[in-house]
Amino acid sequence: MKKLLTGLLMLIMALSLCACAKPAEPAAIDLESAGWDAIVEAAKGSTVTFYGWGGDENRNNWLNTTVADYLKKNHDITLQVVGMNIDDILAKLSGEKQADTQSGSIDIIWINGENFYSAKENGLLWGPFTDKLPNMAAYIDTQDPETLKDFCMPIEGFEAPYGKAQMVLYNDSAVTPEAPASAEEFLEYCKKYKGKVTYPALPDFTGSAFVRNLIYELCGWEQFQDMAADRDTVKAAIEPALTYLRELNPYLWNEGRTFPESSTAVDAMFADGELVCSMSYSPFAAATGIDKGTYTETTRTFVFDKGTIGNTNYMAIAFDSPNKAGAMVVINAMLSPDLQLTQYSELRTLPVVAADKLSDKERAAFDAVDLGKGVLSQAELLAHRLPEMPANLVPIIEDIWLTDVVSQYNN
Amino acid sequence: MRNSKLTPVILLLPLMAVTLTVIIACVNVLLQSLGYVPAFGLTKITLGYYREVFKRPEFLSALWVSLRIAFVSALLAAALGTLLCAALVKRRAGSGMLYTVRFPILVPHTVVALFIMTLLGQTGIVARAAYGLGLMADCSQFPQLLFTPDYGGAIAGYLWKEIPFVAYYTLALMASVSDTLGEAAENLGASPLRRFFSVTLPMSLPAVSKAALIIFIYAFGGYELPALLGSTLPKALPVQAYITYCSPDLLQRPLAMAMFGVILMLSVLMAALYSLGIRRLIKRLGGEA
Amino acid sequence: MKRGRLLKSVLWLTAACIMLPAIVLLIWCFAARWPWPGILPESLSLRTVKELIFGSAKLPELLLSSISLSFAVAAISTTIGIATARATELYEFRGKGLIRFFSLLPLLVPGTVLAIGAQIMLLKVGLGDSIAGIILIHTVASVPYCITIMTDVTAALGDKFEEQAATLGAGPFRAFFEVTLPNLMPGIMSSFSMGFIISYSQYFTTLIIGGGRINTISLVLVPYIQGGDRSLASVYAMAFTLSALGVFAILELLIYNVNKGGKGADA
Repeated sequence: MKKLLTGLLMLIMALSLCACAKPAEPAAIDLESAGWDAIVEAAKGSTVTFYGWGGDENRNNWLNTTVADYLKKNHDITLQVVGMNIDDILAKLSGEKQADTQSGSIDIIWINGENFYSAKENGLLWGPFTDKLPNMAAYIDTQDPETLKDFCMPIEGFEAPYGKAQMVLYNDSAVTPEAPASAEEFLEYCKKYKGKVTYPALPDFTGSAFVRNLIYELCGWEQFQDMAADRDTVKAAIEPALTYLRELNPYLWNEGRTFPESSTAVDAMFADGELVCSMSYSPFAAATGIDKGTYTETTRTFVFDKGTIGNTNYMAIAFDSPNKAGAMVVINAMLSPDLQLTQYSELRTLPVVAADKLSDKERAAFDAVDLGKGVLSQAELLAHRLPEMPANLVPIIEDIWLTDVVSQYNN
Repeated sequence: MRNSKLTPVILLLPLMAVTLTVIIACVNVLLQSLGYVPAFGLTKITLGYYREVFKRPEFLSALWVSLRIAFVSALLAAALGTLLCAALVKRRAGSGMLYTVRFPILVPHTVVALFIMTLLGQTGIVARAAYGLGLMADCSQFPQLLFTPDYGGAIAGYLWKEIPFVAYYTLALMASVSDTLGEAAENLGASPLRRFFSVTLPMSLPAVSKAALIIFIYAFGGYELPALLGSTLPKALPVQAYITYCSPDLLQRPLAMAMFGVILMLSVLMAALYSLGIRRLIKRLGGEA
Repeated sequence: MKRGRLLKSVLWLTAACIMLPAIVLLIWCFAARWPWPGILPESLSLRTVKELIFGSAKLPELLLSSISLSFAVAAISTTIGIATARATELYEFRGKGLIRFFSLLPLLVPGTVLAIGAQIMLLKVGLGDSIAGIILIHTVASVPYCITIMTDVTAALGDKFEEQAATLGAGPFRAFFEVTLPNLMPGIMSSFSMGFIISYSQYFTTLIIGGGRINTISLVLVPYIQGGDRSLASVYAMAFTLSALGVFAILELLIYNVNKGGKGADA
């Protein structure tokens, strides 16, 4: 028995060490001069890693099944999806930059806004590459402001669109019949349902967008489009909104002393009935929740009359990506009507392909998608869509929010 | 004892590799915190980053938060863990109970965070039970424990995991002390309570205090629980340090490293204080026993 | 006796506090909607369990790779434990105090500091994002416990068995492998399980050193906890905890058998 055990232990050790083998590297080609066919050929049989937030079960599922199968079948590429917060991804890339790594492990990054801006500024991204992708010209409106600029910052070919998001709010009409249509009505709503409304702590994407949305309404959105990234300037411009947020605090959950860490935490509290209202950057989140059974059938989506912020999220390639050819092939496939349609139907993410570049048949397929209950139509959403503000203002606002809305109130 | 010179050196080589890794990691953190990051063109050694960090209010409040979490968790876990251990020894707990007590040791901190959320949140099972029993009318009346600046949720998580750890860590020692010396004292007519406080407890202190030190260092430098159960502001020190580390502005890195440096130095300082102070205290108490 | 009852209630209270969250989590695994203030869910569903078994999560693969990683760490840490204990307990040399300090050193360095400090070092030597790097750092974290356990059992065993074997003509290697090692087995098993559980629980170090490329169940679980999908988080947490328990039960059974076998052979 004892000898057997000793042997067994040794065997386990040997076996576990065997697990350390590294995956094969793709064939090297000169990407500058290579034509698209050569890139597709070089990517065959390789593995591409896709790094992005991993907290959305439906998206993970879609990537791991629909997208992965599509890539395997059409391009013989294995997609490895890695769930990681964007902060961690950028910290990791900075570390690799610091250690002067030539070949890292991240190929594609799901990114946008201030993260894209700082990653590009710090040389963490590889590019420009979008002009090499055939589907970019074939299906994307290349003159659309959201294709040229991400949070007012020039993209210059360093990222390709992935999906469109737009800020919406939702509540249960059976619990709270009101659907506030302005900042003022929202304040009244919070007063009426004291302690049962809140928003995610910045720098959560949704919380940050919600605060920017209020800033737009209370301070006007146009002035921010070309504002200098200077703390004092920004603070002076958003002062009315800061006053409003401080006024809002005492009526919020936990009297605004602390805020839930993420938008999904807010969702969970809403599902529990601890909150009466929730918000999302996915415009059709209410329908998804009703489908899952976590929200009641009477949940409905609403937006403020003066509009809500919409933005596009993108895919970029890491500066030390070990498989840039494969990454381009995958991103190109993501831009295809096939995958955009499944993203729209399975995940209810607004597509990035331009409607007038689609064939009639393709357009009909998009129109036929059933978005589910409790949501606003795509036309209604687009009518209320406001552009994002410059990426470099966002961290400044987030910082001011911490010091002037949360901190001051706590002291 | 054997006298070979070469054999122990060979046997200790793997440990040396481990030690080297730890030392390089620490030196790496400390060097960068002193402003030595050649990759960013920084080569001048300076204490400026530490000075800068100690001027930042978010750092000072984070330091305070983490010290509080660590002290409260370590002291409460040590006290309650000793009580639990005594109960296990005196009641001669069966193997079922012993396995139950070992369970939290196996549960990772990430899962503990989830446990605490479903248990102690304002809509957690405890709040629901209190509502069901008519103790409160609405979930907002339940004390807010999670995501608050006093880190009640993180402390609760550490206690759930570490009280059994203290008990388990002390069990063997206390059982043997209780069996031998305790009985002797009983034969001499000491009351059970007195026996516990004058004999069993002092003799078990080495294990209890060592466990408390381990918990202190873990809770002071731990990331998972305060990150998952903590407040918007202030953050716990490791979380704050990591956020600073993640900043896209690479020049923030030395500042983050200074925060990690503070975590490291305070942990080592606690251990030094422990080996100087507590050991002497135990000796004195043990001497009296 | 009053005090006896008090201690007994301490035990029962502890057991309740330990088991309650596990039970609540089990219910959450099957809950679809569980609004305030219900003690039980309003509706149940198998969504999350299905997702785990038939979905893209590849749970069995994930568990297998996480467990093998932790087994490797446990095996290496235990080997280091055996070697270090042998050196300090059976050999005469100067500087034992320093060795004791070295073996406890990793306990003094918080995992966050260790991970951040080791990250760039590992990248420079080409071990960034590699299983080897993770194994190294997990080993650092678990080695103090393994050394402590192995030192205790080695000290208790002494080297009288090996001397006997030597007198009977066995070479030093044979004496160690055929006599000492089997007698150390119970200690080896508990050191192995300690090393396993410490590695299996790691989150931050794996995140930083592995860069997400190396997926463990701990890494997959955290986004769901942060994400607030409690049903799904619960299912993953359940799988995580049960797999750790399963491995533990097997090791425990082995220890039991070894002890029984050992007694038989010695008698």
